[in-house]
Amino acid sequence: MKSFTFLEEFVNLPELLDRVENDKDLLAELLALFQEDLPESRAALQTAINGGNLRDIERAAHRLKGMLANLSARDTASLAAEIESTARAGNAQKIPELVSMFDLLITAFSIALDSFMASA
Amino acid sequence: MRILIADDDTLSLRLIERTLERAGYEVTAVKNGRLAAEELCRTDGPRIALLDWVMPELDGPAVCREIRKQRSDRHVHLILITSKDSKQDVVCGLGSGADDYLVKPFDPEELKARLRSGLRILQLEDNLLEAREEMRYKATHDSLTSLLNRGTIIELLARELTRTRREKSCTVIILGDLDHFKAVNDTYGHPVGDEVLREVGRRLLGSVRSYDFVGRYGGEEFLVVLNNCNASKALSRAEQIRNAISQALILTAKGPLPITLSLGVFASLGEDPWSAEEVLCEVDRALYEAKAAGRNCCR
Repeated sequence: MKSFTFLEEFVNLPELLDRVENDKDLLAELLALFQEDLPESRAALQTAINGGNLRDIERAAHRLKGMLANLSARDTASLAAEIESTARAGNAQKIPELVSMFDLLITAFSIALDSFMASA
Repeated sequence: MRILIADDDTLSLRLIERTLERAGYEVTAVKNGRLAAEELCRTDGPRIALLDWVMPELDGPAVCREIRKQRSDRHVHLILITSKDSKQDVVCGLGSGADDYLVKPFDPEELKARLRSGLRILQLEDNLLEAREEMRYKATHDSLTSLLNRGTIIELLARELTRTRREKSCTVIILGDLDHFKAVNDTYGHPVGDEVLREVGRRLLGSVRSYDFVGRYGGEEFLVVLNNCNASKALSRAEQIRNAISQALILTAKGPLPITLSLGVFASLGEDPWSAEEVLCEVDRALYEAKAAGRNCCR
């Protein structure tokens, strides 16, 4: 069984286990799906930021927020939600700062996920 | 019960799918709104759907609008499940035709409770439709013989005559009357008379094609409408019907009884504009001739 302790810093584990009705195999599957999807979702956000299209930024951040919220990764999900609402409000200047913070958190979460995947 | 899930987020889709499977539901999962609408518009499609809001092709509210437009025949229970959580979103989502609204991340127990609530609504609809069908059947059929009742068989006759005129075809109308039926009732009692009527009804239905009409016209009178029937075959078809009644004794609680039927026959050709009333007068006259000719015959 893989060790969920690697993830405790990023996700609310009791809440997450409740959501999957204590099905740890399903949880491992969901985490693997997230890890697989993450590069594409992050690239979509970056492309939207490079293009300066607020609607695309909102959509990309919404997608990341949804996945992170489902995994009870509250802090990271909150940041994604803030990027989404900031883009919706048209506040383009504030977005780079939020995205930098988000990148830091999501990178750390992704490293923790790698460790989780590699655990026996 | 089959449930449709539409979500372009693979993680969310898998999470909901597994939650529902564990709860015993059969799941159809799709990744965009267009596929969701197609599945839900099928006659045998799922009757409950969980729809994400933001999806490619069609978003959740657009799917709701399309289903409400296309599926007015049956209720499809639509639940929006989305991370859009403002009051404005909820109002807009429900305004698009959704029955319920659930915010992600969802609680599995709440999700299942909302599905049960949807199922109760669908069950109520099923019960109402079943009751409506039962009432429609009772309003159009004779309760003793289960044949079409008088009002319905006359209405169908009128419709067939119109079609006959339009298509220049031919409809054969046969009016049958049981011979000496009063004597059956007087001798053996009305319950036996009822047994005879029921068996005659069964035999009449067994002696016509599936698309012909048979109705109870009166007490012991039966009207048969043979669609698209060759006029030259009218009498021989009537003979077949007569034989179907008389060739075997009818078994009743008071023993087997010999029952016969007299029949008046009329063929309405497309070129002659006959009304239902006129046709009924004609078959009645022919039936009278059959009775006068000794009964158990066709005229």
